[in-house]
Amino acid sequence: MNLEKVVFGFFIILACTLNFGFFIGDIERIDLHHPGELFAAVAVNLVALVLKFGDRTHIGATHLATGLAACLQLLAAALVWTWDAYVAQNAMTPATMSTIVSLSGGALLANLISVTLLIGETLRASR
Amino acid sequence: MGDVLFLVLRRLRVPLITLLVVYAVSVAGLVAIPGVDGDGRPWRMGYFHALYVMSYTATTIGFGEIPYPFTDAQRLWVTVAIYLSVIGWAYTLGSVFALSQDPTFRAAASRSLFLRRVARLREPYCVICGYGRSGTEIARALDDLRVRLVIVESDPTRVASIAVQPFSVAPLVLVADARRPEVLRDAGIAKAECRAVLAMTGDDEANQTIAIGTRVLDPNTQVIARVVDPVMHANLAEFGGVHVINPFHTFALNVGLDFAAPAVLQLEEWLTCAPGADRPEPLRLPRGHWVLAGYGRFGRPLAAALGASGQSWQAFDPHFVPPDEAEDRVHARGGTEDGLRAAGIERAVGVIAGTDSDTVNLAVVKMARRANPAAAVIVRRNKAYNQALIEAAEPTLTFVQSDLMLHEVLQSLTTPLLERFLELARRDGGVLAREACDRLDAAFGARVPGVWTFDCDPAQPGIRQALSEGGTPLRVGELLLDPRDPAVRLAAVPLMLSRAAPSGRPTDTGRPQRWLPPGSRARAVEAPGAGVLDRAGTGLPESGRGASIALPPESTVLAPGDRVLFAGAPGVEALQRRFLLDPSPIEFVRTGVEPARGWLFRRLAARARPRT
Repeated sequence: MNLEKVVFGFFIILACTLNFGFFIGDIERIDLHHPGELFAAVAVNLVALVLKFGDRTHIGATHLATGLAACLQLLAAALVWTWDAYVAQNAMTPATMSTIVSLSGGALLANLISVTLLIGETLRASR
Repeated sequence: MGDVLFLVLRRLRVPLITLLVVYAVSVAGLVAIPGVDGDGRPWRMGYFHALYVMSYTATTIGFGEIPYPFTDAQRLWVTVAIYLSVIGWAYTLGSVFALSQDPTFRAAASRSLFLRRVARLREPYCVICGYGRSGTEIARALDDLRVRLVIVESDPTRVASIAVQPFSVAPLVLVADARRPEVLRDAGIAKAECRAVLAMTGDDEANQTIAIGTRVLDPNTQVIARVVDPVMHANLAEFGGVHVINPFHTFALNVGLDFAAPAVLQLEEWLTCAPGADRPEPLRLPRGHWVLAGYGRFGRPLAAALGASGQSWQAFDPHFVPPDEAEDRVHARGGTEDGLRAAGIERAVGVIAGTDSDTVNLAVVKMARRANPAAAVIVRRNKAYNQALIEAAEPTLTFVQSDLMLHEVLQSLTTPLLERFLELARRDGGVLAREACDRLDAAFGARVPGVWTFDCDPAQPGIRQALSEGGTPLRVGELLLDPRDPAVRLAAVPLMLSRAAPSGRPTDTGRPQRWLPPGSRARAVEAPGAGVLDRAGTGLPESGRGASIALPPESTVLAPGDRVLFAGAPGVEALQRRFLLDPSPIEFVRTGVEPARGWLFRRLAARARPRT
């Protein structure tokens, strides 16, 4: 067992699961999407992104690309929320929430690709 | 660039993750801990405010407690967060600074910077491998000619010296071993802008490797290599396409030429001195018995040249190892004075102090002068800083390797045709050289002319018509008339006509030859070290070139792609250049009438002509 692989896999999967946890639920229902979960998803996705740095193989580059895409989408979602709540000072509306959740849905897709890559890599190198 | 970025990312992975975790935990804690608002009602901090508070707290800016004063529970947590984040930042910044000081990282970063700069070069440049004495001299002279330079040198102390030297345009420098092909490629030898690669390290083997590597990687780049070892010299000549300069060999050939064909040597000196200077007088070394001090890589070729030209010689060298064909002529025993005496210093007409120690050479000169005051003295100078000492000894001739290298390299870079002409003169053995000397004498008397190449490039607007089929053929003689007044002849001598190879390529390399500014040789040869006794090296094979006609008659018809080597007075090159820029001078020197330029006047002239 390789500790690096454990940590790497853990963060990739955790990034995906947190993302999924925030995303799941009716897209317009405000009470089904907790800001804490979005925060955790952003934080873990950033850590996963840093973990993907520095791998110069082809699959490493693809990993990095999916990580960048996921972080971009999640940060956009967080930014929309922050803007709406603090700058525009609006009460949360179903329309805003659906924007945020759909952005996180895009990030979820990128995270799923990342997990698929992880699984594919694991299966290929099964020893 | 990518390399450096990846290196940074990999090395900073742990600090960055630490920082991320610290921030995430602190922000999450701030959000989780209940607080109160200004009216004492329960209130929870949002993620945005929490991140804001953490950002200024962690970076020790400290705006205070916003938007409401903290509760004690919040303060407790913020205290923890402050220590965590300061440690996180200290760790990250420490890692960044450590990385920026790391030699591996610095090497990778400077290499990456070098690569980008080479890739951005859009003007002709030369690659100099090896920044020793020859490399330094050549770099300085090429810099004077405003040629961009890329220098590859493996010794970091030498590289550091480049930064403090007064270059007009800072050269691009790479600290690396040029023997490795990827280093050559990084130095940009395969780029179209790279005009020449100069292998000038002190190591023959390295120079050979560089030369062959360059030829293989890019056959179109001109390669000049300094090689002393005769076997490697032969190897490279066999390999082809590499211009080998062997300074010892070249010097010996010049000495031999002074005995065998003084006219050839005089022609060479005449054409390679600084233009405008007085004509160099032939050296005329005395004939008879010569004594050599030092029989190594410098002495051997000299001894061979002396022997070939019928002079007797004996040598003294304490390091001489007997099994050798020249055994009976080289004395190895005793001190310097005894050795010189054994070699026949009393009856000698000349002494050559050619050891690799300047002190020994000076001692030899002193002893020789004492034993035989009338003898001519040739001294080899090894170290640049001994110049004053050697000059004080007033030798007949001084050999300085870096000066000779500089002269040879500049000659072959600036006027390659001149080199070919001198090669022809040397092979011819004296008749051609005497003829050329007579013509030069008639044209310039005792002055040194400038030398340049006139390109019959059909793309030039001035001669396009004359070179195209159906036009009146252009003759060499027409280029010798003053474009301002055809009754006056330009003070110029056509030395050689180089006809394009049958493939139609106008030059040896397929690249434009005129990449140095016009008149550059004039300045180049004024550079320190325009030696008296220099000579063009050999190395480029004759095959693959077109024909070369030495001293073409004035009636010779020029074809597109021809290149004519001229020697002429100052300013003549600029006058001749007018023929290229616009067609009227050619018309004018042919007919004596300024041709009409505008459309209307051309029509009028065409209508007027049949009537007259």
